[in-house]
Amino acid sequence: MAAQVPGAFVADTEAAARYRARRRYLAGRRILLPVVAVLVLLFAWSESIKLFDIKPFIAPSPQAVAAVLYERFGILMTNLLPTAIESVLGFALGNLAAIVVATVFVWRKTVEEAMFPVAVMINSIPVVAKAPILVLLLGNGMEPKIAVAAIICFFPTLVNMTRGLRDVRPEQIELMHVLSASPGEVFLRIRVPNALPYLFSALKIAASTAVIGAIVGEWIGSTQGIGALILQATFNFDSPLLYATIVVGSIFSAAFFGVISLVERRMLRWHTAHKE
Amino acid sequence: MKQPLPEAAVFCEGVGVRFTTERGTVTALENIDLTIPRGSFLTLLGPSGCGKSTLLRVMADLIAPTGGRITVLGGTPAAARLKREIGFVFQDPALLPWRTVLDNVTLPLEVGGGKALPGARAPKELLELVGLAGWENAFPHELSGGMRQRVAIARALVSGPRLLLMDEPFGALDEITRDRLNEELLQLWETTGTTIVFVTHSIYEAAFLGQQVLLLAARPGRVRELVPVTLPMPRHLSQRETPEFTTLAGHLRRVLETC
Repeated sequence: MAAQVPGAFVADTEAAARYRARRRYLAGRRILLPVVAVLVLLFAWSESIKLFDIKPFIAPSPQAVAAVLYERFGILMTNLLPTAIESVLGFALGNLAAIVVATVFVWRKTVEEAMFPVAVMINSIPVVAKAPILVLLLGNGMEPKIAVAAIICFFPTLVNMTRGLRDVRPEQIELMHVLSASPGEVFLRIRVPNALPYLFSALKIAASTAVIGAIVGEWIGSTQGIGALILQATFNFDSPLLYATIVVGSIFSAAFFGVISLVERRMLRWHTAHKE
Repeated sequence: MKQPLPEAAVFCEGVGVRFTTERGTVTALENIDLTIPRGSFLTLLGPSGCGKSTLLRVMADLIAPTGGRITVLGGTPAAARLKREIGFVFQDPALLPWRTVLDNVTLPLEVGGGKALPGARAPKELLELVGLAGWENAFPHELSGGMRQRVAIARALVSGPRLLLMDEPFGALDEITRDRLNEELLQLWETTGTTIVFVTHSIYEAAFLGQQVLLLAARPGRVRELVPVTLPMPRHLSQRETPEFTTLAGHLRRVLETC
């Protein structure tokens, strides 16, 4: 922005170069440090397998896991696809429902007072207990898994979104009153943008939990998917496959989280910029 | 019953405001009689709790009076608000952090019917007038406190209001910035011809800005004295060192001590 603002900023190439070099150094460090940490942990894992002579059916070496990841890549991907579809659809449905319900809550406090305890009760049922109920209700296809993923996303987003829509600074509401803004205008121009940072914190949690929901759903009854593969590998004492499956699931979950973070950074530049 | 003068921007007759809370009823304002001529600059001065902000909020239709009668620009405060005749500047700039400076200034043109009154200045022209030319695309968090308040002033003026209400707008700023903004506000008042009602708890600010200073006493909030300010216009900060100014400030201080 230095170019378009007169007066306040002056061009100082040397200082600018120093500033950029410092930023590059910090950015590089942020990537390099975790990479080193992961390599150290992998090395420790590999050495302790040898040192304590741990049998492959108890825990595999990282090399064995890597070999499975490479050799059985096709099977892993075939099983990732349904899980990915279930978690992404569940994520979309659960969050959309939460946003709609939060809007209704903020619009009519009475609805919140009546329905919020119900939401808390449903949320307090453990996922592993909800999953069989949904399988009975929705059959053995993808639907119950999508439903589990959606339900698991719903509650954190509902709580955060309701708070975000409501935690508006009173001066902003007074300002809108002086401007004779309609309730709809207050909602769209003040409440919704104000809620976005809250929403994205919830979406980042939901990105990981949606994958967990889909996997738990698959445990109840499925022949395909990361959850099914985890069970199959466990029953066969195929620990390298079990670990490889978990790695694939985690990478997908992390990628999902990364995408949401990226969207957040793009949409909330006004909010993230001053926290850096 | 007195009739409001046609040239009055604000006319109050026996205005009272009572709040009821858990601990009982508080009389924030009692029996306020006041006429503010169009185009004038009135400052409201008083100890905290004297209801000066409440009175300003009654004029802006943010609080409904519980007694008496108030006319703003010939109609009810609500009618003046709906006609876009009132601009309000809060102590907190109340900028929307997700909007750029220019988008904050244009907000009043997007809501509540969005119309500007005849003679309203363009948003960019207003930004230039408050000394923020070139900052259109900056976000509020990139600005200093004084600059944010300048944006808030530009936003309040964008619909071309006939009455500008300011609630301790410079209260949170450092003294140097406050002095500069005081001088600029007087210039702005002279260029726009808008009636300004300005709440402050600073004696110097009240005396330097106003053509008249309305002193309010606390518990219950009531008019103590309406002090005319005879300092010539245009005013400059150096006038605060003249004997006339010192005498006036001394008088305001003595009255305030008994409020």
